Amino acid sequence: MMLILNSVDSLLEHIKDVQHNVIEFSSDSLLKMSDYIEKNNLEVDDNLLSALQYQDIITQQLNATNDTIDSMRSNLNIFIHAYEQDENIVKDSMIKLQDKLNITLQEAKDKQNRFSGKTAQNDEQNEEIEFF
Amino acid sequence: MPLVIFVDDSETALASTRMVTNAMPIEVKQYTEAQTALAEIKAGMKPDLIITDLNMPVMNGLEFLQALRAVPSTSRTPTLMLTTETKAELKQQGKALGLTGWIVKPFNPAQLKQAITRVLRLPA
Repeated sequence: MMLILNSVDSLLEHIKDVQHNVIEFSSDSLLKMSDYIEKNNLEVDDNLLSALQYQDIITQQLNATNDTIDSMRSNLNIFIHAYEQDENIVKDSMIKLQDKLNITLQEAKDKQNRFSGKTAQNDEQNEEIEFF
Repeated sequence: MPLVIFVDDSETALASTRMVTNAMPIEVKQYTEAQTALAEIKAGMKPDLIITDLNMPVMNGLEFLQALRAVPSTSRTPTLMLTTETKAELKQQGKALGLTGWIVKPFNPAQLKQAITRVLRLPA
């Protein structure tokens, strides 16, 4: 079991690294495009300007997922440590791990929804600027 | 010209707002950290409108707003939140701190221009 858990931990670390690279590439790509537009005084229409803003949403979504991965890895490592200390408490630790992972999943889904901005899923409810 | 400051940790988001505001009769300053903008305000900068992101490291948009309200020169400065966040509870917190309005990203360029024009009472 320890080997499996350590493999899962390594996989999570790998996914986090890849997501970090995706954030950097997408940001770099968008900055180069916007630099080009600004330097050449190119006119951008509303659709293109909206599209350019999706990079920010991508970054926030991936950062939220990376936070989830950090939380999962932390919980896994607590479990691994407990297992190494005393194999007899493994059942209790498994239950605690499951609870913590369920909470992590719920928080991740909440962040996915909150950080989606004005996307296809919730376009109608966030269509207008809200003045207080 | 009225001074509008934008605070967003995303440089791509700041670039998008620059493309919208570059033809408007306003002076624009941009910051990637709220604490830097706050330091300049405390040093004497007097913005006419503040547009800030919510989710930022070190100091988030609501913390920034709270700090702005504690500075006499910006205690009543119009402030708009420009964010991907859609949570009603956070909007209420902003409203309680005297936030002027909430704009969800990706913003509609025409709507952002209208919002700035309306708040600053610029000629339409």
